[in-house]
Amino acid sequence: MNKNRLVGVGVASTITLALALSACSGDTPEATDDGSPEGAEITLWLAGGDTPDELREYLKTTFEAENPGSTLTIEQQEWGDLVTSLTTALPDAENTPDVVEVGNTQSPTFTTVGAFLDISDMYDELGGDKLLPSFVEVGAAEGKNYALPYYFGSRYMFYRADLWSAAGLTVPTTLAEFGDSVAKLKTDTQSGLAMGGQDWRNGISWVFANGGELAVEDGGEWTSTLSDPKTIAGLEQWQAVYQNASNVPSTERDVAYWDFLNDGTDATPPAAATIMAPGWARWSIGDLVTNDEGEEVRDGMVDATKFDIFALPGVDGGVAPVFAGGSNIAISAQSQQPELAKNLLRIIFSEEYQTMLGENGLGPANSDYTSALGDDKFAQTMIETAQASKLTPAAPGWAALEGQFVYEELFQKIADGGDVAALAAEYDEKITPILNTGS
Amino acid sequence: MTATVAPAGPSAWPTAVGQRRRKVPLGRWSLALVAVAAAAVWAFPVYWMVTSSLLPNARLRAGTPTFFPVNGTLLNYERVVAGSSFLSALRMSLAITLLTVLLVLIFAFLAALAISRFRFRGRKAFVVAILFIQMLPAEGLFIAQYKLLAGMSLLNTVVGPTIIYTACVVPFTIWMLRGFVAGVPAELEEAAMVDGLSRSQAFWRITLPLLAPGLVASGVYAFLQAWNEFTVALIALPAESAKTLPLWLRSFLSASANQGVDWGQVMAASALIALPVIVFFLFVQNRMTGGLVSGAVKG
Amino acid sequence: MTRTETTGTRVPAPRPSSVATAPRRKTNPLPYFLILPSVVALLVALAYPVGWQVLTSMREYGLAQQFGQPATFVGLANYVEIFTSDDLWAVVARSVVFCLVNAIVTLVLGILLALLLKAVPTWARVVLQVALLLAWAMPLVAAVTVWKWMFDFRTGVVNWLLVRMGFEQFAGHGWLATPLSFFLVATIIIVWMSVPFVALSVYAALTQVSGDVLEAASLDGASRVQSFWLIVLPTIRPVVSVVFLLQIIWDLRVFAQIKLLQDSGAPVGETNLLGTFIYQLGVGSQDFGGAAAVSLFVLALTIVLTWPYVRNLLKEDEA
Repeated sequence: MNKNRLVGVGVASTITLALALSACSGDTPEATDDGSPEGAEITLWLAGGDTPDELREYLKTTFEAENPGSTLTIEQQEWGDLVTSLTTALPDAENTPDVVEVGNTQSPTFTTVGAFLDISDMYDELGGDKLLPSFVEVGAAEGKNYALPYYFGSRYMFYRADLWSAAGLTVPTTLAEFGDSVAKLKTDTQSGLAMGGQDWRNGISWVFANGGELAVEDGGEWTSTLSDPKTIAGLEQWQAVYQNASNVPSTERDVAYWDFLNDGTDATPPAAATIMAPGWARWSIGDLVTNDEGEEVRDGMVDATKFDIFALPGVDGGVAPVFAGGSNIAISAQSQQPELAKNLLRIIFSEEYQTMLGENGLGPANSDYTSALGDDKFAQTMIETAQASKLTPAAPGWAALEGQFVYEELFQKIADGGDVAALAAEYDEKITPILNTGS
Repeated sequence: MTATVAPAGPSAWPTAVGQRRRKVPLGRWSLALVAVAAAAVWAFPVYWMVTSSLLPNARLRAGTPTFFPVNGTLLNYERVVAGSSFLSALRMSLAITLLTVLLVLIFAFLAALAISRFRFRGRKAFVVAILFIQMLPAEGLFIAQYKLLAGMSLLNTVVGPTIIYTACVVPFTIWMLRGFVAGVPAELEEAAMVDGLSRSQAFWRITLPLLAPGLVASGVYAFLQAWNEFTVALIALPAESAKTLPLWLRSFLSASANQGVDWGQVMAASALIALPVIVFFLFVQNRMTGGLVSGAVKG
Repeated sequence: MTRTETTGTRVPAPRPSSVATAPRRKTNPLPYFLILPSVVALLVALAYPVGWQVLTSMREYGLAQQFGQPATFVGLANYVEIFTSDDLWAVVARSVVFCLVNAIVTLVLGILLALLLKAVPTWARVVLQVALLLAWAMPLVAAVTVWKWMFDFRTGVVNWLLVRMGFEQFAGHGWLATPLSFFLVATIIIVWMSVPFVALSVYAALTQVSGDVLEAASLDGASRVQSFWLIVLPTIRPVVSVVFLLQIIWDLRVFAQIKLLQDSGAPVGETNLLGTFIYQLGVGSQDFGGAAAVSLFVLALTIVLTWPYVRNLLKEDEA
């Protein structure tokens, strides 16, 4: 008897599912019969510790209140291992997490292999045009939305105002002026701009600022466009900046540059006058103070005559497009509880949650709520640079390209003084096939 | 009978090696100095880990190395232990590791006896097979390992990783123990039997104690492998409640959109992971070098 | 030796009676029971993954296949592809050299330290032993991180000391920048990490050397050098052989240390060894078929490289 009942429920839910599909309108989640979602448990994978505990707690309680009888489990995965974990768990219907956070540049790879559920029908409901377009784009394939933006960050310049003004320099208004200024600030022991040669995520700002692209799509085929004159101009400008302003070895990348800006112990001068870093670097910069717990910490750039920020200027003034960090969120195609998973997305894209993201310094996906970031100069610069920001190409092979460290290699060779045009031609040939793998 | 074989005992030949090299006899004191210097080299990174774990991140990254943590603080330790995840990870790691060590020692000891004291059909194939198994790189196996464990419903269990660890460590341990079993002269057992001991008595009282250092060395090896293993644990234990200590350590290592890596915390977490291993070492160290060996020779 | 005459002449297990009744060529089941648990464990945990590996090496298997697309059988295409790429052979050459250097340095240092342990007074032995154990107990991530700090171009102790000693050119020197000095640093780290195991294992073997035999030998007029070559070395030889073989196997597929070092900035393409190469092909580029093919190739390569040595071991074993 028991077995028959199960079969019955199964048939019933198949029918409702079919109805829901044919109806093709994202109407109420109550459309599912009371059998399946009740008492169900869904899992959300968050990447790294970026989402604060307070927000996790909010998601859990809100979800459980809105979906009585169901529970939400939040599991934290680490950024360095995310691709491995997603690769093994997502295809496994029995163990897949229902909703996952994924790095913005990792999105195309998983989207194109069908790892995520098509949520085009929810796109407008979750924010539509208000959602950060570059992030929406990397989460879409063939006109359908699979992954939507979760939060963004952006990078700008942190500089030693005291050193800049001592050298008679002011905040630059064009990219060329910036290059000249940081070159003047370089000494044997101090970088004008501390930047490793392999740091292409910073370096591509110069490409974007000159109107260049890394790759373009035509009819589903991606082509690497390093040899485009604009791209070459950007790479050459970056090469000059690196060679004239940075003491950091050409093999370095993702160095903790914020340490360079602080005074050394015994008030020795800082290792750099300028760095490029994500907004949160602020909390690792400043004078040493003792906090309430008796621990020595950086004061977060209290002394504005000593530490300050500006957005990287564009070629003709304005703001240069920088690479935007951040992540997307998606539902696993294998999720056994897609309706509950969608309910969770509704909470994540709600005004309350988006505001909470902003209040915690994470750029909200929905542009209506960016004001929640605050109105100090840090928030202003973050919003300003984020609006001008760009993402890497949404090519299916992008993750493979990153996994092979191709751009690290290219930028290192450029930093070492290689001939940009020749290298661009060489790497175009190498990169184009990788971009199209998996499609 | 004076049992000079105890490690503490003055044994003849190593100084002879010194003499052979340089005509001047090297005193035991100068050798002791060499030993202390070597100890300093090997211990320095460990010291550096502990020092760093006592410093706040801001000080740690200041530029000039801090050799002595004068204004040290235990805050890093307090922070990493805060929350329940440390205890649950510790429990998980202990369960997996101890189970692995136990299984490995039993399985490997039996197999080592078989291959070093018996001739049987298939022996050579077995010996060669377990040697070659270790040569397969593990980096390409993770999808299959996941499918295996998921298929047996062993994800997020103690048993899942234990099975894989046991299989990965056993081949090595068999080879290792085989060397030790071969190192026990069969004549010793025979002599004991001439003295009136039964074969099994000879085994338990002569052979096994002589194998103790080998068992300890293999056990330590198995312990460390299981304790520090990471890749299999990552795919086999996706649930947060099932994470082991190396996975827990990973969570401090991930720099991301709104925070940098707090290296002081990483070092504190590392020191905490090393601590149980050190306790385990000290525990077996006693068994390893104490009376067992000399006792065996005294018979 | 007479051991080969019958099966199970020297039965150490507590069942002497069964042996007594089976003096002839009858198959003794005991050794099979003894290896059974290990065989079962290996079959359960490895049969499927290894089988999958072999199959996948002959399929087109990328992320799309992992997510449900049918994996097409491509025969040896994956192998052809890797063998015809220049990358692989450069990596192989690099790995073999790196492996031999590391295994030999580790073994020599390990044996010297083991002899030292045996020679020094108890207190010094305990100090060295504890230091080795501490180093051994240190989690890999922490160990590599600390070493990385020590070689950091800006804040590292190594550069700091060298500058103090008058080598000004090391101010801001990037140790990981060229492949050669990258591998020097990697060798230091790997040797540092592997030596405790070798030293303690060899030392454990040394404790098996019977003091009485040594004493008797010296009474018979053998010099200390003769004692070492004739008594000590033969006793520890099985352990040393195995330890060396294992070092070769491990150093050839070394992965985590290289990966962690590469992550902190290095010319990745020029510093890949077989382990990181497979990882990059698999996790990095999602070409699991290619990664499987390289894995099996590494297996074959290791067998070929160690074969003379293994054959020797087996021969010794037969004697």
